[in-house]
Amino acid sequence: MDGIISWIDYISGRPDEILETTWDHAKITLIVVVSATVFSVLLGLFVQSRPTLRALSLSLAGIFLTIPSLALFAIFIPIVGIGNEPAIYALFLYAILPILRNTVTGLDSVPSAVVESAKGMGMNTTRQLLQIRIPLAWPVIMAGVRISSLITVGIAAIAVLVGGDGLGTYIQGGLTRLGLPNSLESVWTGTVFTVLLGLVLDLVLATFQRFTTTKGQRL
Amino acid sequence: MSVATTGAQGRIGYEGQDADNPDLQPDKRPSGDNPQEASWLRRARANHLGLKTAPLGIGLLALVVFLYYRSLGLGDSVIQLSSPLQWDTKLWPQTVQHLTIAFWSTVLVVLVAIPLGIALTRPPLRRFGPAIVAVANSGQALPAYGLLIIFLSIMGQGLNTVVVALVVYAILPVLRNTMVGLDGVDRSVIEAGRGMGMTRRQVLTRIELPLAVPVILAGVRVAMILNIGMATLAFLIGGGGLGVTISTGLKLQQDPVLIIGASIVAIVALTFDWIGALAETYLRPKGV
Amino acid sequence: MARPPDRSARTALPTRDRTRDRRMSENADTTLEQNESTTGGAPSPGDRLRKIRLEEVEKRYPGTKQPAVASLTLDVHEGEILVLVGPSGCGKSTTLRLINRMIEPTGGRIFLDDEDVTKANPDKLRRRIGYVIQQIGLFPHQTIAQNIATVPKMLGWDKNRITGRIDELLSVVGLDPDTYRGRYPKELSGGQAQRVGVARALGADPEIMLMDEPFGAIDPITRDRLQNEFLRVQEDLRKTIVFVTHDIDEAIKMGDRIAILGEQSVIRQVDTPERILAFPVDDFVRDFIGEGSTLKGLHFETVDEHVKLEPYPTMHVGDTPTDAAARASEANTDWILLLDEQDHPIRWVAVGDLERGEAVTAESGSEVAAKVSLGATLFEALEQMLISEAAVSPVVRDDGSFYGVVRLTHLNRAIRRARLEAREHYESLEATS
Repeated sequence: MDGIISWIDYISGRPDEILETTWDHAKITLIVVVSATVFSVLLGLFVQSRPTLRALSLSLAGIFLTIPSLALFAIFIPIVGIGNEPAIYALFLYAILPILRNTVTGLDSVPSAVVESAKGMGMNTTRQLLQIRIPLAWPVIMAGVRISSLITVGIAAIAVLVGGDGLGTYIQGGLTRLGLPNSLESVWTGTVFTVLLGLVLDLVLATFQRFTTTKGQRL
Repeated sequence: MSVATTGAQGRIGYEGQDADNPDLQPDKRPSGDNPQEASWLRRARANHLGLKTAPLGIGLLALVVFLYYRSLGLGDSVIQLSSPLQWDTKLWPQTVQHLTIAFWSTVLVVLVAIPLGIALTRPPLRRFGPAIVAVANSGQALPAYGLLIIFLSIMGQGLNTVVVALVVYAILPVLRNTMVGLDGVDRSVIEAGRGMGMTRRQVLTRIELPLAVPVILAGVRVAMILNIGMATLAFLIGGGGLGVTISTGLKLQQDPVLIIGASIVAIVALTFDWIGALAETYLRPKGV
Repeated sequence: MARPPDRSARTALPTRDRTRDRRMSENADTTLEQNESTTGGAPSPGDRLRKIRLEEVEKRYPGTKQPAVASLTLDVHEGEILVLVGPSGCGKSTTLRLINRMIEPTGGRIFLDDEDVTKANPDKLRRRIGYVIQQIGLFPHQTIAQNIATVPKMLGWDKNRITGRIDELLSVVGLDPDTYRGRYPKELSGGQAQRVGVARALGADPEIMLMDEPFGAIDPITRDRLQNEFLRVQEDLRKTIVFVTHDIDEAIKMGDRIAILGEQSVIRQVDTPERILAFPVDDFVRDFIGEGSTLKGLHFETVDEHVKLEPYPTMHVGDTPTDAAARASEANTDWILLLDEQDHPIRWVAVGDLERGEAVTAESGSEVAAKVSLGATLFEALEQMLISEAAVSPVVRDDGSFYGVVRLTHLNRAIRRARLEAREHYESLEATS
């Protein structure tokens, strides 16, 4: 109980600083999620009907997600130096798989009869894609984007280990001063606000998904 | 922190078995003579190909790392480079420690999460299921880094702290997949079992669990990879593991140390992911 | 029981081999008949063994005003197929599932062989009752053999007995044991899977089978074949079967008796299919049976002693044409039936041709395209009549020799007699109650 009170004291003492750090964290996340979404959806559209490329790209994306994050962050340091950059590159690679996989499975799940009838009405390939296939696959694609954003928020907390910003700085700050006043409060701040940021982002994406999905598709 | 869970997907790694994702593809499972069978077969084959080529790729990566390690000429180099990269006293013991952490935390996760998942799909606790799944989903945003430090403050330094923190972190995907896997068993199959006079326990052990094995295994595989990844952070609280080498490389600004450390972690993770994929393929009940 | 001699001729049609057996036995014992069928499902202390009895069974779900099944009393006799049929949502499946207590009744009692099983261990109860559902529910991770062995294993049969049983059952349902026993369910077509489902339900040779729309998800052609095969199997096995369907035609085909259920599983009428067709007790039943009930009723009338067959003028090759013409005009027909040496009907010859004195050969007139055997249904007779040149349906004996003809008036009389009998039956029921 005392812990919670002192934690609330801690955060109410520095709201601007915490919001700014949270915003730093959000920026990294947004850059990663937006670029990964554009990249993965386009890649997904390209490979969905090409079995070999599809298997290859999904396997590769799976490999990225398998490599421990600290290792993947570290591998980028010799190339781009320390700071936010190695974190962003590594997080981008992580964020690909959920979106890519959901894009291809979403496109797979569009009933072939629907595409067939669109073709039968004389829609060309682009029109089929824009008016039929993507809208129908959209909820599944968005589910992938939401998973990627949650993952990215969580992992971005270790960007601090490779010299980056974000809420990880509170965790690291707490660790280095462990035992001193306010150290635990700092760790809790970093952890709790990371989760909160994830939830807020998920909520924003859920709302976005709702407004970009046709009524007939809403669950 | 480490590889994040793909949670809702329940698996990472090889393409091809994503037909197990009950949430996102409601009707992808091949049933009878539907036209999707072709694509399902194709993907199954692609998966098999992945299983065969993966060891080659990993072996090749290991060879490259080995050649790079040899080319560093550690005998003549500065102490900052040669000392952290000693195989016998640093890298090998760290690898063993790394795997020990990952092994025990995975075993504990399985022992806790599967029974819990079973309990949460039985009638008395069933209504809590959706809430747990929702928590498991948003739990993906939980920073492993913060979790480790919180456990450090509670339990102090050491291996036990690392293992407990890892269990807490990796329990969600297994719990979730156990619940989703059990819930995903065709109701008519359960109905048929009950209708023939199987007891609830018999239905669970002979029908539900065997049929949920693929999904549960996928969750265990995710947990294992999460644990291997998170063990990389064990060094932060004095737990050892290969993270030590990476952190040394960071601190001393020695890129070769960084690269060797990261590569070995990657090789370990990929190897165990492959073993997980093998287990998923061969432990999957026949006929499913 | 006597078996009609010409079953093969009728198996393709939507009628049943047992129709006549039952008719004959019922006619031989009218008191039995009256005990057997009631509108309200009143207790029947009849001679036929009562296998299942539902006594004022009720199912009420918490939080709902109306019970899903309201006070249902129903007897199922040993060895019969009782079909529960009704519009969707009427609670027929719920009723079925109350019998093996997949759903626990909230009131009333259930008896099996006069043993009260309302409180018996449901798992042990279910092992005594075969259960087939529309979705089949084969265990996908087990082979066909393992699936079929499920209940025998739980009952502790020894290995050899189980193995033997598996092969026996696969043969019974028309699947080659060597080919199928090691396969997995996903390697089966829908029809094959449903055969395995039936075999599995028969696993431990239960005396009772519950079937919930077992052929509902199967294409019409396969369904028809499975229905016929199942009826054939049932003829040997004589299980007591409760069968649920929403399809009145399937009910008519499969049922020894049909219970037509309304909302909340209230029995609107329970009786033999022919009597329900001949005398629907109210508008609900009439609507449910739908159009063509009279025609459907013809499936249950056979060309035999009940239909007084008429002679028809016949001739052989070599008979004097004018004599033959005289026979025809005496019988007041426009045609004469030409028979061969074995008295098999072969051609229709027009009386006009005969009067002109034309010589009759085996090529004269037009071919007898259609004839029915003794024991065929009046439905078949009607079909042949419609395509027959002389608008009558010639009937032949088992050896193929000409016996007589069925005319439209026969059908008319048969239907009216069936209706009258049914009405009298219900009136006498009313009088006694």
